[in-house]
This record gives sequence, structure tokens and C-alpha cells, in this order.
Amino acid sequence: MNAAAVNEATREIYWNVTQVWVMYALLVPTALVAGYGVYRHLSRWRRGQPAARFDRPAARVGLLFKHAVAQRRTARDAVAGLFHAFISYGFVVLTVATTVVALDADFGTAIMRGRFYLYFQSLAVDVFGALVMVGVLMAAARRYLRRPRKLVHTDEAALILAAIFVMCLQGFLVEGWRIAATNDPWAAWSPFGNLVARASQSLMGPEAIRVWHAGAWWFHLATSFAFVAWLPYTKMMHVLTAPLNIYAANLAPLGATLKRVDFERTESFGVNTLGGFTWKDLLDLDACTECGRCTAVCPANTVGKELSPRDIILGLRDLMHERPREAFGLVASNGGGVGEVSAAACTTPADKEPTADMEARKPLPIIGAVPATSPVALWQCTTCAACMEACPVFIEQMPKIVDMRRFLVMEEAEFPDSMQEAVMSLERRGHPFSGTQATRMDWAEGLNVRTGADVREAEVLLWVGCGGALVERNQRVTRATAQLLEQAGVSFAVMGREEKCSGDPARRIGNEFLFEQLARENVGNLNKYGVKKVVTACPHCFNTFRNEYPQYGGAFEVFHHSEFLARLVEEGRLKPVPESGKKVTFHDPCYLGRQNGVYDAPRELVQISTRGGAVEMPRSRNNSFCCGGGGGMSFVDEPPDKRVNQERAREAVETGADVLAVGCPFCMTMMEDGVGARKGGRDVKVLDVAELLWEASRPREAGKQNL
Amino acid sequence: MNILVCLKQILDPEVPARDFRVDAARREAEQGSASLVTNIFCENALETALQLRERAGGAAKITVLSCGRPSAEDSLRKALAMKADAAALVVDESDATPDPLAVARVLAAAIQKLGAFDLIMTGREAGDWGAGQTGGLLAEELGLPCVSFVDTVEVAGGVLRLKRQTDAGWELIEATPPVVVTVTNDEHNVPRIPKVRDVMMSYRQPLTKLTPADLGLSDEARAADGYYEVAELFIPQKETRCDFVAGDTLDEKVDAFARRIVEVTRAL
Repeated sequence: MNAAAVNEATREIYWNVTQVWVMYALLVPTALVAGYGVYRHLSRWRRGQPAARFDRPAARVGLLFKHAVAQRRTARDAVAGLFHAFISYGFVVLTVATTVVALDADFGTAIMRGRFYLYFQSLAVDVFGALVMVGVLMAAARRYLRRPRKLVHTDEAALILAAIFVMCLQGFLVEGWRIAATNDPWAAWSPFGNLVARASQSLMGPEAIRVWHAGAWWFHLATSFAFVAWLPYTKMMHVLTAPLNIYAANLAPLGATLKRVDFERTESFGVNTLGGFTWKDLLDLDACTECGRCTAVCPANTVGKELSPRDIILGLRDLMHERPREAFGLVASNGGGVGEVSAAACTTPADKEPTADMEARKPLPIIGAVPATSPVALWQCTTCAACMEACPVFIEQMPKIVDMRRFLVMEEAEFPDSMQEAVMSLERRGHPFSGTQATRMDWAEGLNVRTGADVREAEVLLWVGCGGALVERNQRVTRATAQLLEQAGVSFAVMGREEKCSGDPARRIGNEFLFEQLARENVGNLNKYGVKKVVTACPHCFNTFRNEYPQYGGAFEVFHHSEFLARLVEEGRLKPVPESGKKVTFHDPCYLGRQNGVYDAPRELVQISTRGGAVEMPRSRNNSFCCGGGGGMSFVDEPPDKRVNQERAREAVETGADVLAVGCPFCMTMMEDGVGARKGGRDVKVLDVAELLWEASRPREAGKQNL
Repeated sequence: MNILVCLKQILDPEVPARDFRVDAARREAEQGSASLVTNIFCENALETALQLRERAGGAAKITVLSCGRPSAEDSLRKALAMKADAAALVVDESDATPDPLAVARVLAAAIQKLGAFDLIMTGREAGDWGAGQTGGLLAEELGLPCVSFVDTVEVAGGVLRLKRQTDAGWELIEATPPVVVTVTNDEHNVPRIPKVRDVMMSYRQPLTKLTPADLGLSDEARAADGYYEVAELFIPQKETRCDFVAGDTLDEKVDAFARRIVEVTRAL
């Protein structure tokens, strides 16, 4: 073909199609039905509480590119990521192509010609259309042959796959029959359409091809319009809600996702109605694609407990979709009342009993409304945030669980006895370890650790934490940390008896009121001594100091001890001389790694202390598997056959490591128990990274074997 | 029914042993960094009262009363958070080691001032001194009968049915109000955790504050006929010593060992 011909390359729009006005007429109901679906979503989200999620637009657009356009999280599952890419990018290309047709047909442009027609409108569209079909086949094979447990098997899912496949197939048939009937000179640029054309030319007469083409064209139109109209009523709505949800995502670290409670103005503490959630929480429910990754990584679910973050989201979504008027209190749950009464108006002051009428129009309580939100399940969450890290569309499952826990704790005082004991101890003694005989400074016996007024003079405050001070095993970690600081010549002091729990367990259990009290008291004490720099061996304290205390007037530079010690080694202030190259595997604490992005410092310490003997567990870094001790769960006795710590200990032991390194007092307890629960087998030690470093740094006693 | 529950604020009994100090001169425990809490048996009494009110469909009024330092207000606030109806505190700033009789006189005077009660409840004893006297002496001061070590209270046709723990088992006692009972712990009267909303509300509720003078009690009147005095207060010293008995033969060793046992036990 010559260049001039190439420049004129195009095809006739609406070839072989008459009565095109019918298409425009069908657009109206399509747009109305789809529009109503979208409007219904919007009006439901607007019933949520306010949330500021449109600040920092540049960062949000960046996130949008990374996770909606580039689909980085979706791609973590190679197979699902691949077919999702085929289908979604295919759809984008096909939508652009359709838009090009519309522009030329209805707006008088002449875009669809020349090289653009050949390269994009013919070749690219053909290839991407085929990829969509391949993607659908892959998805169907996975869903119905491999049947992963994490997926939800609904008719809707099957219908969506079938609809997409049929639409693409029709597209190729329409194209192929047009090529066959018109002897399209540019047929080679549409390889798959051309294939259909060749096949039909040998099977059908020219007239049959024309008739079948017209039929297929209208059928393609009908199914496509129907699909668009149906889309907002299905999980396919995620093509709109997922990007929106990603745009409105929480930009702070995962450790900073819990909302504050305004105790002066809030009518109900915590959440027990859909309207108690923020609009973003409600948007979360509609952004869910039912992929099940959250439940697949949930530690509680993995060991066979009831908790399933996916089913919490889907259960709440179904309540919102199927019983919206009851869920939002627009109508009596028993069908009696009419008119709109907000949740706030229903709450009467404590001295007045609610009237029968108000009682009747109270929004449907969500806790226990579906099996997934039963209190039993809610009290199994370790707040590890693996669900949030796994979610491709940035749904915030864990904060919703904490919201509902808040209601149970603060409004109902209904929570597990062992957690009650921890909370009561926090209230009375400022630490959660009821019955301990240890005191805040026991660990420092024989060391010359400064405290009290010396805090003001010291360059660094070593925040010991309740675990580090009051649990015997962890006292050795605190000792090692203090001795390392001493050896490096760091000027440090501790708060001693003036230290109280950071408030993390209270907050994750759901007693926000107690958390605020502890936060204010600690921040007040720290500011009294002018503390600027804080080092702590507890990732929970670390997270609270870093992400939560700033809201209470605490502006500290906070380091996990692994970060601070790694820096001391880097600066040459510590000179460890490792003796042996033991095999060590490091267990990432959720509140250090996943929730605050500190992965490398503890690993550096492991490498230094073992001369490169580090081995990784299959689940590590952001995919790390919780020890089972977060969210107040370390105070709860788990059923013997469903213990998160044993699952993790098994994984650690299977690496063949001699030492399981930890960086958190809760992980220490859970992992020692988990490793100890095994019968027989190799001896695996559980050591904190500071203990490892101290073993390599301490002055050697002649003839004494370390570790 | 009108119920009154006496509460005592004490030093946290869970204070670690090595943190526990006594002020020998003042003959009392030092607070140090320990917290102040409500005596557990008093909380058992309050819980028993709350359950009684629940069973009565709310047809009962519960008043809580404490005699102590101003800080005892916290114990009363917590009782309000647990849903007691009213609270009164007799502020006693005197330094004297509390004598159960003096306390009983203050409580009795306050109770008479606060109104008529059908049921007056105290804990069986307090976790600090453990004297276990106040309940009985209070009944004496009020001229009422007293049933001690009660774990369950029920109302049946104007009569109180009380279940009382004894060394041999339980005693079921029927008593016509008014009566004083001292309450002991049982699996059914574990104190409830208050709701946070109620904790916040408790700080907005009225709380009657009185002094012994308001009750017409002079220091002398309170201490009259006192029988109880703390002579000395100290932490017992634990000592571990290891002696090896000498002897050439086994018989000699056994002999020396037996003699040593006799010596040591005589010395105690």
C-alpha cells in the first residue's frame, strides 16, 4: 500500500446498520438505570459521618497512578494480577475506541483514520479485545477449576464473566463479518477479526454474512448497554469505586488509621450503626471486589477462627444494599415508624428513657446483624492490619473492627473477661499486667541507669514500656538495650515510676477514653522533662508515640531500638564482633514493619550479629504474619487448636533457623510460647535483636561461650 | 427499697511486695507510687445491691457512702459509674490510724442523717488492715441486727433472704429489714465494669460531702471507749539460713540433726 492510501485508511461507521436512532433511544434508559444506580450509592455514602480525605491532592493522584492505573497491589497475586490487567486494560482500550467512534459519528471529527486507525483502532483494539477474552477464561478457570477458598461464589460473578466474554466475542463476530462482507483492504490490521472473516467466508454466503452481521451488531449493542446499566448494581461498580477509594485512601502509615472520638460532642461512642461510620467507611463497602485477599492473610482466620475481614465488609455492604432504610434508621426495624430520624436524635440523655417511638426508629444495630460482625469474631482481631496491606483497593477493615469494639467496650461494657482484667489494671496501675510482682525499675538492678530529674539532662529517653519492665523475659531485652546505649556512650535516662502504658492496648481493645487519659498523662510527663528524642524496644509504644501522641501535644523524634542501635553501629559507636554465624530468622512486628515501614534496621542488626546468617520466612516484611499478640489479644487465652503464635512459630522453625529474632515484647512472649509448645524437635531460641547485638558487643569473659 | 452500701478506699492490694513500704512512725503503709482502689469486698457488696435492684425491676434506690480522705471521692464516682443512685462522702482528714469503732460511729451518724435504709451493706473486711470489724460495729451503733459473710440477697414478700457462707456450708437466713449485712465474694457478685459513658456521667452527678463535725461528732466522741490501737507496724523480715550438721557417722549426723531441729523450734 502506498503512503497516501495509508493516510486514508478507515472504515465506515454503522456499515450495514439501519435505524441508528434506536441506539440513541436505548441510550436514555441505559443512562437512567445506570445513573440511578450511581445516585443510590452516592446518597448512601452521604449518610456517613464526615472524614477529611481530599487533602494533599498530589499525593492522592500519585497513589491513583500506582494502584489504580499500574495496579501494583493487584499484581502481587501473579495470576490474578495478570488476568485483571488483561481485562481492565482491555476495557480501557475498548472504551477509548468506542469513544473515538462516537466522536467521529456524532461530533464530526475525523480521528478514526490513517495510521491511528490502523495501529490503534484496528490492531490494538483487536489485540486487547482478545486479551480480555483470555483474561476472562483465566479468571473462570481459576474461579471454577482451582476454586480458591478466598473467593465468594455468587451467580453474579459467573454472570459478569459470561457477559464480558460474550460482549468481546460479539465484537469479533461483528468485525469479522464486516471485513468478510466488505472485503476490507485493511483486514490484516485486525488479525482476530480477520480470522473470523476468513472462517465465515468459507462457511457462509455473502447474504447470510450481512444478515448475521446486522443481528450481531444489535445484539452486541443490547448486551453492552445492559451491562453498563447493570454495572452499578454489581461488584463491577468497583471500576468506579476502586479508583475513588484509592484516591480517598488514608495517606498516613497504617499505624495511624484509628479515628479519634470527640467525647464532648459524640452521642454514641464507637459504631453500632451504618450511619456511625464515615462516608469513606461506607465507600469502602462498595469498593470491595470480593477478592478475599484480606481474609486469606488474616492470622485469626488462617488458624481457623471466625474472624473474616472480607465477610465483615460484604456483610455490612449487603445490609446497606438490602435493608438501607432500616440500616440508616429511615424506617422502624419492625416496619412501624415513618420519616427520618437521625442516630443522634435517638440518643436521649441518660436521665430520660427513650420514648417508644424513638426506640422504634432506631437504626439497625450492625454488631451481630450478620455472622461476620458477631462479637466473638470482633474479639479475635489482632489489629495486625494485614488485611489493609493486602487490599488492592485500600479498604480499611481493621479500623471498622476497632470502631465496633469501641461500641462494645464504651457503650455496653461487654468484652472478654481477660481483656477486662487488663483494662482494669491499666486504669488502676497504668500497666496491663494484672498480678505482676515486678516493678518498673527491676530490670535496671545493678546498672547505673538515670531517672527522674536526670531525664531533662539526657539526650535520649529510653521508653521501657510495660512489657519491657514488667515481664521477666523482656527485662533482659531492656537490660541489653541499656547496656548497648551505655557502651556507645549515649546519654540516656528512663522515666522509671513515672512511666505508664502508652495506651496502645486500651485503644486497640476499644477503650478510647482510657487511651486518651494515658496519652495525656504520658505526654504531660514527657513534656515536663522537655523530652525530644525517644528510643523504645516496643513497636506498640513506638507506633503510639510516632502516630498518635502528636495529636495530644507530644512532638517527639521516635526510634525503635533497632533503628537507633543500627545507627550506632553505622557511626562506629558500637563495634560488635560476632562469634559465630548462626542461622537467624527475623519476625517482623506488625506495628514496626507493616504499620510503620521499618523493615531494614532490625535485619541489619541480625546480619551484623550473625555474620550474614539471616534467613527469611516465607511471610516476611509487609506480608509478615502476626505473632497473635496485638490488639489486646495477648491477654486472651486462645483455644489450644487455634493459636496464631503456633502457626507463626511453625513457620519460623521450618526455616531451619537456630534463633528466632524478634523486636517486640509481645512477639517475644507469643513466640517463646509458640516455639515452646512444639513437642521434640530442634532447640530454637527466641532472642530480641538487641540481645543478639549485645551478645556480639559485650565484653568477653575468657572461655565463656556466648549465646 | 432503700439500700446503702459502704465503700472503703484502700491502697492497691496488688502493689508489688518490693514496692511495699511502711511508715513505722506513723504506723501506716506508705502510698508510694501505688494507686488507691475500692476495697474488693465493698465492690462485691455494691454488685450484690445492683443485682438486687435489677431483680426488683429498678424499684430500689442505692446510696453509696464512704468515710475517708478526699481521694475517696474516686471510689464513690466509680460506684456512681456502676449505676449507684446517690453518693455521700464523710471527709476525714485526721491522721489517726483508723479505728473500726470510730469509723463505724461516723458511718452510723451519716446513715442516720442520710435517711432511712432497709438494707445496709458493707464488705466483710478491707484489703488493707483486714480487721473485719466495721460492719458488725456499725450494726451495733445503729442498733440493728447484723448478718455477716453474705453472698446472696433476695427479697421475698417484705423479708430479706440472705445466703451466708460458713465454714460448714451455707446458712439461709430470713431477716426483716432494716438489717446490716457484710458481704463476701462469690462467683455471682464479681463487680461489673462500668460503661465509659457512665464513667463520664459520674463526674457530673451530685455527691454529698460531709465532715464529722457536720454529723455532730467531735474527735473525742468518735474515739471514746476505743479498744483498738496499732502498737507497731513493720514488714516481717524473711531470712533463709543454711546449717550443715556435723557428724562422722550417719547415726551421729541424724542425732545432731534432730537436736538442731529441737533447738530451732524452741527458739521460735
